[in-house]
Amino acid sequence: MKVGIPKGLLYYKYKPFFNTFFEELGAEIIESPDTNKDILDLGSTLCTDEACLPIKVFHGHVEKIKDKCDLILIPRIMQIYKREFICPKFCGIPEMIENNIEDLPIITKAPIYLFSSDKFFKWAYETGKILTKNFFKIQKAFERAQNEQKKFKEGINDKGYALKVALIGHTYNIYDTFINMNVKNKLNKLGVGVITHEVVDDNVKYLEIKKLFKRPFWTFAREYYGFISYALKESLIDGIVYLSSFACGIDSVIVELIKLDFENVPFLLLKIDEHTGEAGFDTRIEAFVDMLSRRKRGNLA
Amino acid sequence: MKITFPHMGNVYIAAKFLMDGLGIDYVIPPLNSKRALEIGTLYSPEEICLPFKIMMGNYIESIEKGADTVILTGSCGPCRFGEYAELQMKILKKLGKNLDFIVFDLPSDIGFDELKRRIDKIALKSPKNKKEKVLALLDAYKIINLIDSLEAKAKYKAGYEKEKGECKRLLNECKKEVLKTNNPKEAISILKEYHRRIDNLKIDKSKNPIKVAIIGEIYTIIEPFSNLYIEDKLMDMGVSTKRTLSPSWWVYNTVLLSPLKLTARKIRKSAKEYLPIGIGGHGQECVGEAILSYKEGFDGAIQIFPLGCMPEIVSKSILPSISKDKDFPILSLVVDEMTGEAGYQTRIEAFIDLLERRRRYVLSRS
Repeated sequence: MKVGIPKGLLYYKYKPFFNTFFEELGAEIIESPDTNKDILDLGSTLCTDEACLPIKVFHGHVEKIKDKCDLILIPRIMQIYKREFICPKFCGIPEMIENNIEDLPIITKAPIYLFSSDKFFKWAYETGKILTKNFFKIQKAFERAQNEQKKFKEGINDKGYALKVALIGHTYNIYDTFINMNVKNKLNKLGVGVITHEVVDDNVKYLEIKKLFKRPFWTFAREYYGFISYALKESLIDGIVYLSSFACGIDSVIVELIKLDFENVPFLLLKIDEHTGEAGFDTRIEAFVDMLSRRKRGNLA
Repeated sequence: MKITFPHMGNVYIAAKFLMDGLGIDYVIPPLNSKRALEIGTLYSPEEICLPFKIMMGNYIESIEKGADTVILTGSCGPCRFGEYAELQMKILKKLGKNLDFIVFDLPSDIGFDELKRRIDKIALKSPKNKKEKVLALLDAYKIINLIDSLEAKAKYKAGYEKEKGECKRLLNECKKEVLKTNNPKEAISILKEYHRRIDNLKIDKSKNPIKVAIIGEIYTIIEPFSNLYIEDKLMDMGVSTKRTLSPSWWVYNTVLLSPLKLTARKIRKSAKEYLPIGIGGHGQECVGEAILSYKEGFDGAIQIFPLGCMPEIVSKSILPSISKDKDFPILSLVVDEMTGEAGYQTRIEAFIDLLERRRRYVLSRS
């Protein structure tokens, strides 16, 4: 059986798991190509207008591989941690795909709860059933896949740059170099190192969010806010670059939280959508880096 | 302590009498207006959804009238509404307005002790004894049910009325009349009186008006200002409308039924075929209601939601399939602070035209 894996949304975070899982079950894996203009255009045509860029791009990836495989992985990730959520659109993504794209092969629809192995295995069983009737094979594949995922080290922590910024944004915005126009490279070329939130331990982030009135119920909000708060306290960074997709509901809240709570920190908000032009993007980054280096010189003098 | 609260449809009527009953000082923010929206937009993050902006406007207008405490209900995700309190508190603080926020979250999220502490913050300010407090709460609940059902009746009967505009006139008169008193008991009797009047309204049963269901995001369909008074517009066109989501529906389903996990069972069951899992906000309800209104013989449905509303974007992707499968017209309207009235009106008129024409020709079901 050929299993299609679209390279969109949280693929960048969970690719070791999904790839190993399906490989162990004896499937041939067909990954969609890296995001390109064609995929972006397909996605914007098929998807509901109001959706955000990552969701549109995901539609494009599915459309691209739907004719080549028998099963497509559409991860309905409901929760990553207990009592925390991610975006509502993730919870409804199989329905969005189903209703926006025609002539689909089988898609995986079972919900994924990542916080408990038992609940997560339910997904694995539901999905594995399509490929094999052997329960133990699924169990073994699930365990192997989880081990692979544990080995996977995420995060960027550049060393040896004069300036360092926190690059904040959803995994699928930061690691998809087409939709962010390789922002990390652009920063590196200007002599700015990048650090992302995965570098800092989760427990530290839990401590940092205690100062909020309400425990943030989004995993992303807790991670980004906690990371920024910690990084500033330890003077790990000179500024913040926030990469956000237009109309992202979660970002609209986190950006404001960070801006309100860490007032005197240089903050650059980069919005990406299907119309973003590279020239304007570059100019804004350059201006921001200029400002950072002038600030640093000023502080030293 | 002077309490205020954001507007949402008829909530202010019930809240007023609750405070009256408890003997607590309060400020009702001026009814939503362009001014509230403009002030709210000025101080809100650009990309946040419309309800946030209007609510900010409400707070600031109330502060001008002396309010110092805000009551708000909360939620714990995944929809943005749950984060409103945190942001609004911070923004108002930045503006130098140090308000006390009392947020009612579900006890499953904050624990019973914390919830009790928050309730006590208000309850202890009340000079009344325990029994009177409970009675005040019950009266408020009665009032919200009465006003919501009155509104529902008026909006449904608008299609059948003999004298055009009678339903709308009665409804507006009632809202004005009921605010004149400060006594919850008197309010209840006024509301009952208007119920009688609406029931006795002369109607033309031979009429077969166009019937439309209003579905979508709860705030924008309940708060008439945010949807540019769509229900009033439809009443003027002689269209019967139905809207299941209302403040009393919310209280019943969220406060009373959610601990038993029985929230909106019928609606959610109908949604199963298209959206089997709750996605936060009222996305699943929106899909379920579209199907229910089809089954109940409505001519069409109008979905309204604020720009960027995450759960409703999912339901918007599903609605075209329902529309196709069931041959049931559904119009999606997106509102934000930039929505122009003329374009909006045109789209509604065109939709109603379409429904009328469908009836005249073969496509008719009734």
